[in-house]
Amino acid sequence: MSDGYAIEAVGLDKTFEGGLIPALKGADLRVARGEFVAIVGPSGCGKSTLLHLIAALDKPDAGSLRVLGRDVAALKNLSNYRARDVGIVFQLHNLIPSLSAIDNVQVPMFEAGLTARRRRERAKELLGVVGMAGKELLRPTQLSGGERQRVAIARALANEPPVLLADEPTGNLDSEAGKLVLDLLDDMRRRRGLTIVMVTHDRDVAARADRIIRMLDGRVLPDPDERAATIARSAPPAD
Amino acid sequence: MSFTSFILNNLLRQKVRTLLTVLGISMGITTVVALGAVIGGMKQTAAQILRAYDADFLVAQRGASDLTFSTVSAEEWAAVDERPDVKRTLGALLYVSRVAGNPYFVTVGLHAEDLAAAEPDVTEGALLSPGALDEIMLGAGAAGNLGAQVGETVSIDETAFRVVGIYRTNNLWANNGAYAPLEAVQLLAGKPDVVTVVYVEAADGSDPSEVAASIEGELKGLAAVENLSDYGEVDQGIRIVDALNLAISALAVGIGAIGVMNTMVMSVFERTREIGVLRAVGWSSQRILRMIVGEALFLCLIATVTGALLGVLLSRAVLLIPLVRSLLEPQYSVDIFVRALSVAVVVALVGAIYPVIRALRLTPMEALRHE
Repeated sequence: MSDGYAIEAVGLDKTFEGGLIPALKGADLRVARGEFVAIVGPSGCGKSTLLHLIAALDKPDAGSLRVLGRDVAALKNLSNYRARDVGIVFQLHNLIPSLSAIDNVQVPMFEAGLTARRRRERAKELLGVVGMAGKELLRPTQLSGGERQRVAIARALANEPPVLLADEPTGNLDSEAGKLVLDLLDDMRRRRGLTIVMVTHDRDVAARADRIIRMLDGRVLPDPDERAATIARSAPPAD
Repeated sequence: MSFTSFILNNLLRQKVRTLLTVLGISMGITTVVALGAVIGGMKQTAAQILRAYDADFLVAQRGASDLTFSTVSAEEWAAVDERPDVKRTLGALLYVSRVAGNPYFVTVGLHAEDLAAAEPDVTEGALLSPGALDEIMLGAGAAGNLGAQVGETVSIDETAFRVVGIYRTNNLWANNGAYAPLEAVQLLAGKPDVVTVVYVEAADGSDPSEVAASIEGELKGLAAVENLSDYGEVDQGIRIVDALNLAISALAVGIGAIGVMNTMVMSVFERTREIGVLRAVGWSSQRILRMIVGEALFLCLIATVTGALLGVLLSRAVLLIPLVRSLLEPQYSVDIFVRALSVAVVVALVGAIYPVIRALRLTPMEALRHE
């Protein structure tokens, strides 16, 4: 395996309900550093499950998964990995309703050892980056769907992770709001060098990515485009 | 936003539930504080009885349900008094009766010579005269309550006594009571030739503890009380209220813990998905644990403050009852509030155990899938 890949999954298996429901059957995935990929496929094909395994929200039954050159299964501190290495955006924003936008963005920073002042400064800065300046003190119920998703993106970037995972980030948004969120992701990737893996069932949304990965019945379909490998070989070594 | 304000924010999301839980725990804390203050007052009264007349210890009937029910016969008193390791003794008969508005008026019968030797702080008039049976000295509190002056007559159980003097003392029951000749009080009480307690001063060079132990060994029906911890030997009431206090504290912990557990379980259950999100954005198990325990602790600390205030108010309200007012003054020692705080902390920790287990048992994904 090469450390040039941000994400490298080989033969991932995952079942639910004690093995009765297979979700992944030997899924392979390679994503180069700084790449923006979209995973598409029909409902139940395992794309969200694959994303959750990368986010270390669940464990595979078999196979290997390396993120940023490290074997996720061997990590002793998964919380630290979730806090610092990967940020995740859900289809439903999953913001805490009783907290303001700026406080929601600060939530992941508790694990980063920052002072309260620094947390607040960074959250304000991130909200500015996602176009939410001036709305820092509004609660999720006072925001539109697109605005909530932008706050969720700011929260996912709170600890400046190199990898951003997005699970149907535009699934609950109208096309205009969805376009703004996609513009934002693209901008994040270009300005911050983020590696982005986005799950979607919408082909138009997927078309915004550098590369589209197709899944069917728990497997990643062969990728005719070898660009990932090419990028990986030319990518600078990991920090 | 600090972690503390995050915890407070969680509690304020369900204001009514938080308020009701705090009130529930407060009731337990109120009981602990009020009962503790009243029992502290009772113990102070007991300590005042114990340390009266500058004695080393007192001797009373072993196993008496209440000190006022103790009887020490003239023979037993004499046996103590005649010991070579005893310097002097003072026999006192405590007679409790209703006098005017005071249902717990304590008349202490003792020899005039013994009273003189004890040197009470006489503010008006004189001490009892040896041999006189119709004289009485009133405590300043009793004189005020009865509106009695030196030279006037007061009646106890229809027996008239002439007030010869008024004394002042910090001893609450003595201040609200009276001294009268021993023989007269024995007649009043219908207990000839007995006293309630015998105060003992050990002879010079004798160890009071050894003297007390020796008296107990020799006179099996008597118990020697040197300090408050021995007081239960001659007053079962103190033991009973101590046990009651412990039982009520335990009950307060149990009921409070169930209340906290109920609130926290509901809160954690409702926020299962949110806890999944917190795990997904990198919160460690320890931080989730700190969040839930922190919420439980905050509930209990707020309840401690409100419960302690209510407890103080309640114990002051108890003083509106004349019987209580004449017997004790609630004591607000640091110990009571430390106990209340300890109860609250135990309640919080016990109440948080199950919610913490529930929150941490789920994987982030299981929590996120929760509807």
